[in-house]
Amino acid sequence: MTTSASTPSRARPAVGAAKATRRSADAAIPAVEVRNVTRRFGAKLALKGVSLRVHAGTIHALLGPNGAGKTTLLRILTALASPTDGEVEVLGSHPGGRMLKSRIGFIPSGDRSFYLRISGRENLAFFARLHGLGRRQALDEADRALASVGLADAARLRVASYSHGMQKRLSIARALVTTPEVLLVDEATHDLDPEGGRVVRELVSELASDGTAVLWTTQRIDEIRGFADRVTLLREGEVAFTGTVPELMAHAIPRRYLLRIRNGGPNGPELTERLQAALAERGTIAAHGGLDNYVLALADEAVLGDAIAALTATDVDVLTCHQERSEIEEAFLHLTRTVGT
Amino acid sequence: MSGIAHAEPRRIDIVRGEFAKLPAFIRRDLLTLLSYRMGFVSDWIGIFFQVFLLYFIGKMVDTSQLPTFGGRSVTYLEFAAVGIALGVFVQIGLARVSTAVRTEQMIGTLESLLVTPTAPATIQLGSAMFDLVYIPLRTSVFLVAVAAVFGLHFSGGGILPAAIVLLVFAPVVWGLGLMSAAGVLTFRRGEGMIGIGASLLALSSGAYFPLTLLPSWLATVAQLNPLAIALKSMRDAALGGAGWTVVPHALAVLVPSGAVALVLGSIAFRLALARELRLGTLGLY
Repeated sequence: MTTSASTPSRARPAVGAAKATRRSADAAIPAVEVRNVTRRFGAKLALKGVSLRVHAGTIHALLGPNGAGKTTLLRILTALASPTDGEVEVLGSHPGGRMLKSRIGFIPSGDRSFYLRISGRENLAFFARLHGLGRRQALDEADRALASVGLADAARLRVASYSHGMQKRLSIARALVTTPEVLLVDEATHDLDPEGGRVVRELVSELASDGTAVLWTTQRIDEIRGFADRVTLLREGEVAFTGTVPELMAHAIPRRYLLRIRNGGPNGPELTERLQAALAERGTIAAHGGLDNYVLALADEAVLGDAIAALTATDVDVLTCHQERSEIEEAFLHLTRTVGT
Repeated sequence: MSGIAHAEPRRIDIVRGEFAKLPAFIRRDLLTLLSYRMGFVSDWIGIFFQVFLLYFIGKMVDTSQLPTFGGRSVTYLEFAAVGIALGVFVQIGLARVSTAVRTEQMIGTLESLLVTPTAPATIQLGSAMFDLVYIPLRTSVFLVAVAAVFGLHFSGGGILPAAIVLLVFAPVVWGLGLMSAAGVLTFRRGEGMIGIGASLLALSSGAYFPLTLLPSWLATVAQLNPLAIALKSMRDAALGGAGWTVVPHALAVLVPSGAVALVLGSIAFRLALARELRLGTLGLY
């Protein structure tokens, strides 16, 4: 793939603004409502009484480790699987109806959702025609969508020659072709580099700002800050948390810190022993990665300020101190009870 | 939910809309076929090799063993050309219809298709549509090539009636293909069984040899084979000069056969798809 795809520059269409205005009247009514849904695969319960709501114009992150049930829930919302129990409504209808499908966009997690031997443009035109567009209109919409995601230059290349990031943008372009009212995104960024992930999130944010309700599944927890409006955290098929991102971060109880310590003398085992003795019951400290780096693990009732004061009392300077994991990561690990594993 | 009225379209509009999607499938598969240039070229070269092969086999066959059509004796090449043309149509058509959904499943596009507002039956038919158009075209070229190179005598007035018989036979293939598709969707690896089924159908059709050479009980059973009926009608029309007289009988047998096959195939396919959705195993292969 030698063609460099241009940077996405999706101009917000006027129709989108109108749609956003139109939908603001319905803001109280969720675009997606999942009520007490259970899904069983043989003896295994993949979802246990899951409930959530996604409103128009918002991004709702569905967070959870592998096997938490995120993809199963998306498959139920797209009628690719049925719930064993509970109720699901998308835009006021049960999933699966022809009319409803024309109003939903779906971005699958894998790369294998296109015909690799034909061009991106022909792929989009094909899927647009399955949404009922005529050939000419389908091609026009395909061109518009490809330009929106910065793939205009690669439009006539076979999809087989696209990079992961380009295929992901093509997936978004496919969703854009029909201007969906609900967008379901299954781990869109899991195999993308940071820049690729940023581009995809930006495109989805623009759709949401145009009024689309977005359900975004991910296990890249740090990407939801400043991106998602609400979060539902799944743990072994159950809702472990639902709320806003700040509310999720409030669950963080950071206990591990990375310290950079300057000592007048050598930083050998003797220094570590001296630091540990100063800390006493406040926690444990260990060298980390050589040089001046240490990991401080606070005891349950210990206070960070007291621990730092105890360390500096041994004639060392604590140059930097930051959490080993982000607050979101801490909250995620706390709520999924996997700390220390 | 959004406050906008989304009226359900009329059934006739839905059906028309679904049919309007079929050309998109044909274009997709044509572009895919053309992207495999070597495969495309070698397929056509293969047709001409097949013609030569039949010609030399025909030289060994005692034509007195072959049936007459309209009182006219035919050469083995004339006899087999029609049989093979139809046999290949059945074999490729059956395999393609039955594995169309499976192929989408394997390449990972099935779920992307199913989330569009397109009926599963349209996806199934659409995925096989290109071959249902391309194979008869390929078959026609084969017959024309045989006739031109080896001077075969096809009755001019029988070509159109033979084509009509082929057309009314297509739903039989489609229906059987749908039943096979249901089996493939459920049991995953069903290609072998489809091959056996297609071979049995061809064996008991008289495509390669006269049915009179079979044991009498088998020959009696084989005469109920819709493929055998279609084949006999086509030979009578194209080789025996029977023209349009074969069409009423063929229609009387093949139309109900096609209807039954289509209904049973549709039910089986819907049940298989519903089972996959219920189990949540549609994406697994």
